[in-house]
This record gives sequence, C-alpha cells and structure tokens, in this order.
Amino acid sequence: MQEGHKHPLTQMVSEINSIFAEIGFVFAEGPEAETEVYNFDRLNVPKDHPARDMQDTFWFRNEDVTEPMVLRTHTSPVQARYMESHKDNMPIRVIVPGKVFRNEATDATHEAQFMQLEGLYVDKGVHMGHLKGTIEYFFSKFFDGETEVRFRPSYFPFVEPGVEVDMMLKGSDSKLANKWIEVMGAGMVHPEVLRDSGVDPEVYSGFAFGMGIDRLAVMKYGINDVRDLYTGDLRFVNQF
Amino acid sequence: MLVSYNWLKDYLGEGAPTAQEVADLLGAHAFEIEDIEERDGDTVIDIDVLPNRSSDCLSHRGIAREVATLTGKPLEYDPFAETPSLPETNQVSISIENTEACPHFTATLFTGIEVKESPQWLQKRLAVLGQRSINNIVDATNYVMLALGQPMHVYDADLFPQVDGQWKLGARTAQVGETVSLLPEGAGNEPRVIELQGTETLVIDEGTNTPIGLAGVKGGTFAEVHAGSKNIIVEAATWHPTITRQTARRLGIVIDASKRYENNLSPEMPLYAQAEIVKLIADIAGGTFAGAVDVYPEKWEETTVQVNPVNVNALLGLELSSEEMVTLLRQAGIVVDSNGTILSCTGPWERTDLSIEADFIEEIGRIYGYDHVASVVPGAMEVPELNVRHFYSEQVRDVLTELGYSEVITSSFRKKDAIKLRNALASDKGCLRSSLHKNIAEVLDKNVGFVDLLGAQDTRVFEVGTVFEKKEGGGVAEHVSLAFGVRTKQSGYNPKDDVVVTETVAALEEKLGTTLSVSVDKAVAEINFTELFESLPVPTEYEPVEIAEEIVYKPFSTFQHMTRDIAFWVSEGTSVAAAQEVIAQNASELCVRITHVDEFTKDGRTSLAFRLVFQATDRTLTDEEVNTEMEQVYTAAQEQGWETR
Repeated sequence: MQEGHKHPLTQMVSEINSIFAEIGFVFAEGPEAETEVYNFDRLNVPKDHPARDMQDTFWFRNEDVTEPMVLRTHTSPVQARYMESHKDNMPIRVIVPGKVFRNEATDATHEAQFMQLEGLYVDKGVHMGHLKGTIEYFFSKFFDGETEVRFRPSYFPFVEPGVEVDMMLKGSDSKLANKWIEVMGAGMVHPEVLRDSGVDPEVYSGFAFGMGIDRLAVMKYGINDVRDLYTGDLRFVNQF
Repeated sequence: MLVSYNWLKDYLGEGAPTAQEVADLLGAHAFEIEDIEERDGDTVIDIDVLPNRSSDCLSHRGIAREVATLTGKPLEYDPFAETPSLPETNQVSISIENTEACPHFTATLFTGIEVKESPQWLQKRLAVLGQRSINNIVDATNYVMLALGQPMHVYDADLFPQVDGQWKLGARTAQVGETVSLLPEGAGNEPRVIELQGTETLVIDEGTNTPIGLAGVKGGTFAEVHAGSKNIIVEAATWHPTITRQTARRLGIVIDASKRYENNLSPEMPLYAQAEIVKLIADIAGGTFAGAVDVYPEKWEETTVQVNPVNVNALLGLELSSEEMVTLLRQAGIVVDSNGTILSCTGPWERTDLSIEADFIEEIGRIYGYDHVASVVPGAMEVPELNVRHFYSEQVRDVLTELGYSEVITSSFRKKDAIKLRNALASDKGCLRSSLHKNIAEVLDKNVGFVDLLGAQDTRVFEVGTVFEKKEGGGVAEHVSLAFGVRTKQSGYNPKDDVVVTETVAALEEKLGTTLSVSVDKAVAEINFTELFESLPVPTEYEPVEIAEEIVYKPFSTFQHMTRDIAFWVSEGTSVAAAQEVIAQNASELCVRITHVDEFTKDGRTSLAFRLVFQATDRTLTDEEVNTEMEQVYTAAQEQGWETR
C-alpha cells in the first residue's frame, strides 16, 4: 500500500508548533464562529470604525444567533479569549494557527477561507525587541537559514505601535533569499485590548503578530494558486 | 494617495530631499510606497496612507509635514503656521442644529468672480494626479482638498435664494422620507436623488428648510456653479466621522471627502482651508472676497498626554535618553513640556490620531527608526499545556496516512445546509457545513479518475475540520469532525469500500485505545472528533515532528491523461528497476508516471507489467501521440531482447 500524504498546511502547522513549543509557546485555539464582540470590539475595533473595512466579514443571520456573530476574520480574537482565561497565569506565550474567513472575491492569491497564525506574548517587560527576536527565531528555523527581520510602521487597531514585518533569508540559494519579503502584521498589544481582557497595561505589556500560513506555503513550496489548498485535489496534496 | 513631488516642494522649499529620498524616508518611517513615477516634469508618488493618518496625511501639506518630521528640517512654508483671521460678513448666516454632528461650519462669500479655465499651473497640478480640470472655481476646491485635506463645496449665490438679504445655510439631521438631489457621479450622468432615512446629516438652505447636500458625503445640485456664475459661497465644515461613514456606506458613495471625515478630520481645519481658497480665488478668478462666517460652537480642546520615558524604552526595547525623545517628538511638531521625569505631550491640532501614551511612543519609535531595535529571543521554556486536539489529530493522521489516506482541507461553505449566512459571496457558498461527509464524498468522486495518474491503487482521503450546527434553544455550535472515505473502484462506490473503512476504524481504535462511535454512509465514515479527544487521556508530550524533505511543488496539468499497460518477458536477471529505467529512457516527458503493476515467473521466464500514464501540460493528448510514444517503448524492449506479451 502506497502511503498517503498529510496536507501541506497541517504539516506546516505541526512544524510551526514544534518550533514555537521550544520557547514555551502554547498551541491555543478558539471558535471559528465568533461573536462580534470578540472578533471586533474586544480588539479595539468599535462598530462603525473605518478599521472594520479592513476585513470583509461573513455574518450569521440574526435568527440563528443569540448575539451578533461572524465567521472570525482573523485568529486575533483568541488573544482576548486566552488573556482573559490566563490573566492570572503570566507569562502568556501562545500561537494560534487556525482557519479564518473573509468575504472577498477569490483569485490565485486570495481564498474566502485561509489559515492564519497568531502569536501573542504577554509578560512584564515584553518589548519590540522580543517581537523582532521571536519572528527571526521562527523564520530561521522554518526556512532553515539565517533570517533578518525589519519593521515598517503600520496600523492595526489592536496594537500600538503597529508594524508591518518584512523578512530576508540570508545567504541561502533559495529563490526567496537576499530580498525583503512582506510577511506579517504585528505590534505591541494595545493597552485597551489588555485592559478589556483583565490585564493591567501599567504592569504588563505584550506583542502580537498575525500572518497567513497559506502565504508561508506559497513561499516555502512555490504554490502558484492558494485555492488549490482547499479543493481536495490529490494531484496537489500528493506532492507533499 | 497620489502625491506630486513638485507640490511637496511648495512646502519643503528648495532644500527638499529628492523624490526618491522622500519615498525612501516615508517607506521606512511612515507609509508604504506603492509606486513612484516620472510624469510631465514631475514625480508622482503613490503613498498608501494608513487609516489612522488619513485625517492629516491625505494631503500634500500633511505628507510634506511628515517629510519634515523625518528630516528634522522645518517646512519652509506651512499654511497651518498661523491661525487665519478672515474679515466677517453678515450677508451669510449659518445655523447648526446638532453640534456633535457638525462641530464647525464656515462659509466665505465672493462677488464678481469669473468662472473660466484654470491657469496652466493648476491644470497641470491636477492632471499629474489624474484629476480632470473642470473650471477654476471647482478646481480651486479640489486643489485645497488635495493641499490641506479639507473638502469644500461651492454654491452660486445668485441661484441661492436670500431671506431678509441673507443667504442662510444650515446643518441638521434628515427627516424620514425627505429627498436630496446629489451631483452626478462622473460627467454626463443624471443627478442622483436620494431618499433619506432620518439618520443622515444634511446641509440645508435654512431659508426654505430644503436639503441641499449630504453632509460629508456628496454635494447637491442645488445652486450649482456654472460658466456664468459671478457671486459664490464656499462651504467648509466638519462632519461627524460615524454618521458620515454610515451614510456613505449605505449609499455606496465612498469618495475622497467621506474617507477624510470618517477618519476624524480635525475640526480646526475648515478655517485654514477657507484662508487658502480666499488667496487662490483672488489669484485665479478675480472678484472680491466679501467676508467669512465661522460658526464653531464647540471648540476643539487640545489634549495633553503624560509620557513616561521609562515606558517608552520599556515598550520599544531601546535606551533613548529623555532629551533624545523630546527631540524626536518635537520633530513631529509635538509640543513637549518636561518636568524632569515625565514628558507632557500635545500633538499638533491636525493629528487627531495622537491620544494615548502608546501613540506618542510609536511616534518616537518610528521616527527614530525600528532598525535600532535589537532582537531578543525569549528564553527556552517548557510549554505549560498541550493542545489535545492537535496531539490526537496528529495520531489520527499517522494512522490514516500509513493506510494510504491523503489529507484534504475542503471548503467550510456549502450550497445548502442548516446554517445560512447573512451575506454569502456566491449562491453555492451560502451555508456552513454541518458535517464533512458530503465534502469527502465529493472529493472521492473528483479524485477516482486520478488513480493511475497518481500511481495509487485506489482513492482514500480524510479531513479533520470544524463543522457548524444550530444549538438547541438557539445559537450556533461548532465541533471538530473527522471524516474519511474510500473508493476502491474508479466506477464509484462499491460495497468492498466498506470493508476498508471497517479495517480503518479498527486501526484507529487500536491506536487510540478506545471504541469509536462512527457513522458510515457509502464508505465515508465520520466521527465527532471533539467528543472523542475530550474523552481520551490528556497527553503530556508532543511526538517529535519529522522535518519533511525539501519539496518543490510543480503546478499540475489539468488536461486529460491517458493510460497504457505494457508487459513483457524480460531477460534473466533483469530487475524491475532496470526494466522501468528502459521504459523511462525511451518515453518522452509526456510519460508522467510508470507504475510496476504485475510480475510472475513461468517456465523459468519472468514477466513484468507496467502501467504508463501520459499527460501534457498544454493540451489533451491524441491517441496517435500516445501510440507513437508506446511504439518507442516497444522498440526499446525488443532491442533488449524482451518479448512483448
């Protein structure tokens, strides 16, 4: 019997988990059907705030829910959920790989569902250097080579400062090497988000990042159409 | 936002950094640069202004100010340097019903102006930014918006009825069922008449209480400026971000003006814009400026934020001195008052984004440069808890892949199911899956034809994924489901498939050490995985992850493949690999797979059988093409002395 193949995304999730587990990051999860409160309000994205336009959202019908609910547009709600349940067990180090949904037209680089990886580290004295170091550590392991990371200013309502993260694989002969590639959004957790989760921003600080695992697959394997990840076509899956 | 470099130089002066330097500075410290392009003796920079800076940086003055912040060199000309003072007129009146909806409303009156073509310099300014020149008056309002960020609107005073010798403008909330006629979208279109819901803010002709514009969203056709206009009234006001946003979204009118208001344009801005347009109109349209009306009932109050230098370094991971911080903050036009330990910071009035300590910390970090932040890897630490779902998913994956199952991740959406979404993208994706069963059955059907192509014996797939259902008593519930399915024949479901499923269930039960509750339909089995792993022992350690060999993915051909079998008696001592090699050497790259399917020995002779799969990446192959390929293989076999069976 010929052996079957694990899906490239779950292979990557396993690998990501083992890399982060070495520095104490817990593999956390949350619901895909999320409340509006956790998906937006608790992340400092109030109703009618322009930041809501950054993510086109699938909504549940009112008759099916007891409070407004969405298909989560990002894995970030798990930040709030995890902080809330673990606020008395500092430090918090978690990654959240999971499916997220955007109500957008699909093409070779966009799918209505995709996998995102969230990272969160909250403790006394966490700063942007930890964010940079953690991301460099991860990419160096994941791409098996020395990696440099740079930050550019950006805006996400749930972090301040907010940054766009570029990475560069150094010295390898990979196609990706020696050029800056935009890989994720990140920043220091907004004090409102900490406070709303019961964490005192006067005492604790934290970083958070979010990136597309699909995009990582594109980088790692040279996949040319992300939609192939979700069609169940074995001509695709069996290459991994 | 498209920005003209020549325009920036109006503010930056002749010592300005080059266009490329501007782009590089902004790219590293402020905004992403989408594009930079030479155009008609100018350089146009496409800047992706961040949403929190849309209040001050969707303008040339704002971008120039940002450049000044980053170079540390003050603006040579700053239209915000002095509070404008304009002579008043009592020929225009303004009434505001709700000062939250409209905190600031200004108007200026001009007489004896001439509507004509804009001067070349103005036409050129607009043209490089892809904006069409209309006439000098309309262009002037566009110019001021692009220069300072304040939207404006012009009325022909002679078409605006006066009451008691006064033009009466007003702002109020709409009444349900009222209508307003808006300027057409694009030249040649009809005006758009909007029926109002009672939530919108309106600009009105106070004299007749008639709606004449949708505040912050779009101007109306009322008293429209035309080629013969002589006397005009220019309006500049501040509208509430949320009300503007709701109205603009509902009507699908998201234009430059509403985008600026949504992002909290400073209420201080209108008078500066009026001062600017007064100068411009005198310059390009002549006439007389008759005066301004400025109604600003709730004056904006600046806020001062306490910034602790200890917190700055603690959050950024830097070791800046207070003096260095003060210098950086002052570069951004922030007024800093230091009492020795705490920095009291007041942002410039146009920076409505600066409201908490972290906002000022971000300013220090980005202006100083995040490249100064040194990496620190958090120390190694044991994970305090394991993800049980992931742990057991991996165990299941190991069992199933060993049994020949490949893993799929399918769509969470279905055409029909219990839970329908409110706003689905496509009608075939309107619902959420309540089980994986149908997805797995469809995946099997789709893949059975690829068995030869994949060199498999049959088709086996599985998925671990979330499914959704309605909760009893209301609400939505979800759980993780595990489903797997088998098709042993390419013709479709066959009772033999169920045998494989039963064996697979047994293998899973053995590995997990429990009895599974499985529903099986046509050789597709499904298990409530959440229930299952919650009943299993809590694991204490993850299995080590095998690092997969390096894989380079090749896009697969979607063209039909063709299968041919070949069998021959090989010479004594010929291995399967050697025979396969002969085939591979003699078929072209159209032969995408060779599978050894049979071998037997009779009368001292060995027969080997292979299945060859042919496929092109750019077309469906013809029988002739495949026959030619096979001829080459037969000939090669003959040359080896192998007798084809």
